[in-house]
Amino acid sequence: MRGGATIEILKPGVQATVQDYPGRPGMLRQGFFPSGAMDFLALRAGNLLVGNPQSAAGLEVTLGGFSARFETDATMAICGAPAETTLDGEPVALWESRRAPAGSELTIAISPGPGFRCYIAVSGGIDVPQLFGSRATYTMGGLGGFEGRALRAGDRLPLGPAGENGQPRRFNETARPHYDREWEVEAMRGPQATPDFLTDADMQQFFGRSWKVDRNSDRTGVRLESHRFEYARDTGGVAGGHPSNILDNPYPVGAININGDLPVLLGPDGPTAGGFIVAATVVHAALWKVGQLRPVGDHVRFREVTIEEAAAAEQELETRLSENSLEPA
Amino acid sequence: MSAAASPILDRSDPVGGHPAVTYRQAGDRSVLVEYGEMELDLTLNFFVLAVDAALSRQPADGLLESAPGFRSMLVRYDPSVLATHELVAHLSQLHESLPAEQEIEIPSRVIELPIAFDDSKSQSAVERYIRSIRKDAPNCEGANNIDYIVRYNGFAEREEFYDAVLATEHWTGFIGFFPGLPFMFPIDPRHTVVAPKYNPTRTWTAEGAVGLGGPCYAIYPVESAGGYQLFGRSLPVYDLQARNEVFREHPLLLRPGDRVTFERVSEEELLSTWEDARADRYRYRIEEQPFDVGAYLELREKVRDEAEKWRQRREEAAANTPVP
Repeated sequence: MRGGATIEILKPGVQATVQDYPGRPGMLRQGFFPSGAMDFLALRAGNLLVGNPQSAAGLEVTLGGFSARFETDATMAICGAPAETTLDGEPVALWESRRAPAGSELTIAISPGPGFRCYIAVSGGIDVPQLFGSRATYTMGGLGGFEGRALRAGDRLPLGPAGENGQPRRFNETARPHYDREWEVEAMRGPQATPDFLTDADMQQFFGRSWKVDRNSDRTGVRLESHRFEYARDTGGVAGGHPSNILDNPYPVGAININGDLPVLLGPDGPTAGGFIVAATVVHAALWKVGQLRPVGDHVRFREVTIEEAAAAEQELETRLSENSLEPA
Repeated sequence: MSAAASPILDRSDPVGGHPAVTYRQAGDRSVLVEYGEMELDLTLNFFVLAVDAALSRQPADGLLESAPGFRSMLVRYDPSVLATHELVAHLSQLHESLPAEQEIEIPSRVIELPIAFDDSKSQSAVERYIRSIRKDAPNCEGANNIDYIVRYNGFAEREEFYDAVLATEHWTGFIGFFPGLPFMFPIDPRHTVVAPKYNPTRTWTAEGAVGLGGPCYAIYPVESAGGYQLFGRSLPVYDLQARNEVFREHPLLLRPGDRVTFERVSEEELLSTWEDARADRYRYRIEEQPFDVGAYLELREKVRDEAEKWRQRREEAAANTPVP
C-alpha cells in the first residue's frame, strides 16, 4: 500500500484525461455514451504490462507534449502512438513496462504519428473516485475522472495500491497493433442503410472509397469529409427536409452518422441519440482504431464484415490481450 | 462469408392494436427495433415505453440495456451469450404479451416549469452564432430565432407562438443526446409547432435554454453545442452535484413518460427562481399522475379537424419560408 501516492501533471499537452475500460456502459437511456479509453487496446495492453486489471484507469494523452512527475515508486508502461519519450532524460520504449522511481519526470514529445493517442498505465491505476461504476472522464457532462475535466498542470492524481513490482516486460511484436496513415476499420452496414435509406451505389461508395479524417475531430466524434449520397428517399419527411434526417432515435456506440452530407464516426463521448441515419456501425473489436485516427492527413476505409467475422475479431483481440503476449524486456 | 445486403433482420405487420415492427442490426452488439412508420404519432412512443418497461420485468440473459427513442428502441446485447435471432424472438414474444395500445398504462408525472421567453442568454447564443459561424442564416434574422419560428409556422405574432407552448402538456418521449436532455412533444396536436434545425449547428447554448427542432422541444441540460431554434430559458434539469433536493436521488430531473407544462415568467423572475433552485430554496413542482392513453386517443379524435386545419396553415407558411 502506498497511502497518498500520486502523480503530478506538469504539462497536459493538447488534452489528457483519466480513462478506463469499458467506461460506463449501460446509461444510454439517460443520455450517457460510455466514455472510457478511445483506444482501449493500448490502455488494456498497458495495464497488462504493469500488472493491473485491464479495466484500470490510466491517462489518455492526445498527440503528446505531455510531462508528469511520479511522487512515488511505480511501475509504468506507455502504449499507443509513437513519440519520443523519456524518464529523467533517459529514453523509454513504448509497449514495455519499467520502474519509475519517486521523483522521476516523464516526458512525452509531440507524436509524429502514425497514430494520435498514447496511454500511460501505472501500477495500482489512477485512483480517482468511481462514478456510476467507472473512473472515466466525460468532459461534456463535467463528470468522472479528475474533477470531471481534462487535466491541467499542477493536478495531483492519486494512485491505487499496487501489487508486486514485477520484472520489466514487453508486449510482443506480433501482438502489437499496426498503426498507419491509411486505416482499415471493420464495420457492419446499418441500422439505416440499403434498401430503405441508401442505395446500393451509396453503400458501394461508402465501403469502397477512402475517407479523409477532418481536423474537427475529438472524443465526441471523428468527422470525415462531405460526400453526396444518392439516398433511397427524396426527403426526410416529417423529420426534416434532408433525406439523411429521421425522427430522433438512439445511436449505437461506433455509429457512422450521416450528418447532412457529412459522415461522422461517433466517439465514446458522443451523443446518444439524434435525427440522422447511421449508414454503418464500427464493430466492437475495431473501435480502438478510431482513437488512433489522426485528424490531419489520415485516411480511413471501412471494410464490411459479418457478425460472425466481428465475433472472430473479438476473440482474436482477447487472445492478443493476454499474458501470453508478454515477454521479459 | 458475404455480408447481408440489408441490415433488416426481420419485420412484422401491425397486429392486434400493435404497430408494425422492424428489427435492424446496429453493429455487432446492438439491434435497433423500430415501431410503425416514420410519422409523428405519439402512440408509437407509448408502445416503445410499454415495451421498455416489459423488458425490464422480463430480461433475457445477455441482454445488456435498452434505450428508447421516439418510435424505436436500441437494445444492446452480448452476442456470445444471446444470439441475434434469440434476441429478436424474445422481443417479438414480449410484443405479443402487451395490451393493445389504447389499454396501455404509463406511469407519468406532471412537472410544471417556469419559462422566460426571449431571454438574454438565448439572444446572446444567437448573436455569437451570427458573429462567429454564419452571418446570413435565415433562422437568425433579427438576432433571434423566435421571429423565424413565428414565420415558419404562420403565426401572426410572437404571442401566438408563446400561447401554443403554454397551452399544452409536453410529452417526454425519451432522454438522450446529452445527459438528461428531454425530447418533448406537444400532447395536444392543435398546438404542434415545427422548425428546421440550425445549419450548421451552434457551438454554444446556455444551460436551461429551451429550443425547438422539427416537432420536438428540448431543454438543454448542460452548456453545449446545439441545433434547435432557441426561444426561452427554464430551470436546471440535470445536476450531478445535487444542489437541489430534486436531484438527490438522481441527477436527471425528467424521465420518459413525464409531462411538462410551462408557466410564463419574466426573465428577472426566472433568474431569481434559478438562484433559489440552486440554493435548494425552490421546490420543483412535480405531481404523480398516471397517463390515460384512452383519454388521449379521444382528445386526438375530437380535435382532428382543427389540428388538420392548423397543419395546413403551418405547411403553407413553411413552404414560403427559407430553410437554414
